[in-house]
Amino acid sequence: MLTRRTLLLSSLVLAATAAGASGGYAQGSAAQVSPQQASQLIDSTAKRLIAVIDGPGSAEQKRPALQQIIDSVVAVDEIGRFCLGRHWRSASPDEQRDYLELFHRVLLNSITGHLGDYRGITYTLGRPLPGEGGVQVPSTMNRPGQPSADLTWIVADVGGGPKIIDVVAAGTSMRLTQRSDYDSYLVHNGNNVKALLSALKRQVG
Amino acid sequence: MRACRLTLLMAGLVLLAGCATPPPASDPEGVADYRQTNDPLEPTNRVLYAVNDGIDAAIIRPLAVGYTYAVPEVLRTHIHNILDNLNNPVILANDMMEGKPRRAGDTMMRLLINTTLGLGGIFDVADSMGYTAHDADFGITLAMWGVPDGPFLFLPVFGPSSPRDLTGYGTDFAIDPFTWTGTTTPWLLFDYSRYGMTVIDIRASLIPDLDKVKEQALDPYATFRSLYRQHRKAQIEQVEHDTRATVPLWYDHGPAQ
Repeated sequence: MLTRRTLLLSSLVLAATAAGASGGYAQGSAAQVSPQQASQLIDSTAKRLIAVIDGPGSAEQKRPALQQIIDSVVAVDEIGRFCLGRHWRSASPDEQRDYLELFHRVLLNSITGHLGDYRGITYTLGRPLPGEGGVQVPSTMNRPGQPSADLTWIVADVGGGPKIIDVVAAGTSMRLTQRSDYDSYLVHNGNNVKALLSALKRQVG
Repeated sequence: MRACRLTLLMAGLVLLAGCATPPPASDPEGVADYRQTNDPLEPTNRVLYAVNDGIDAAIIRPLAVGYTYAVPEVLRTHIHNILDNLNNPVILANDMMEGKPRRAGDTMMRLLINTTLGLGGIFDVADSMGYTAHDADFGITLAMWGVPDGPFLFLPVFGPSSPRDLTGYGTDFAIDPFTWTGTTTPWLLFDYSRYGMTVIDIRASLIPDLDKVKEQALDPYATFRSLYRQHRKAQIEQVEHDTRATVPLWYDHGPAQ
């Protein structure tokens, strides 16, 4: 329904991906991460990302720094496993390894491919709330010349420390959206994980 | 005649597309996913998605790009405010039908303040006074009444939908006072301008974001389907969780105390 701005959601979630926080399922529980820890994680991550994005250098030069930030704060492997859903179990160990490697690159490309969109970004954080599956940290992102975007970051304990496992924009979860995309692609390609790997390879170039 | 042939061709394509084939019972996880997706008309919906995508690429997106290029941002904001204000009667009616008097009060104040102090809706004065905009439509109202959404539908121009929301479109159109303003040329011009500007206004606000969905998703149709459903669920939950007291704060702290 155009009059109710329904499609706005799509944009915000994809923008969130490019901002560096892909969603996903992670092992662990919210009880092990305090709201303060979660809020500090998002605050420090945003500062580190902004420093790189607004700093000198080309997108290619910024890739290693961005990758380091993502790997340290986002539960990328767990998110990747969640996004593959039931197909993870039917994939061979080699396919699982290739998939996770590609998933990392897809995520990194989605950020570096749109660095220009995120220059000059500022943010404010709301009060973190313990919720189902993780601590929810609300935030408002302000981009120059564009409407502000409300994003909620989900932080949970993964491997003994707090990590980002999802981002929710306009009520839509990144991890669920990505999972729907991959699942539909696989269903329409004979549930063949190799077909998904080929598509991801084309995507990362 | 050409239009008739085109309609028949479209109908033929849609019928040929048919219904989705569920996975075999030997694949219980596949069956569970199929049920959860609830898109038995998927082949038909995909045809309509392709039609919609073609219309968007050929007409709507170029118009929206031209609009953002030619019209300064401040003017676009005012146009957006006017369109929002014109929709307030429909929102107000749905707030009341949802049984949410505080939300109805907010909308009533937005309508009164923005129509007067906001000079016909050009300025969103009500927002700065604490009466922020919210979503309401008859699809949400039906959900509040316990009506299930039903299978996924993809409609030309309107995009992702469901039988519940399709009913909502028709009802919102019927309860909109501007639908019944008459058929004289000035009113018809006003109505068509409003509908056209609404489409352009919304599409313009989504240019970079929809581009990213189409660029990054392996299956954009499935991605839009998922996003739409999640978003509608969140909108409905937002209404359900709005349990603010009906009596406004100023009344409790008024002259009687």
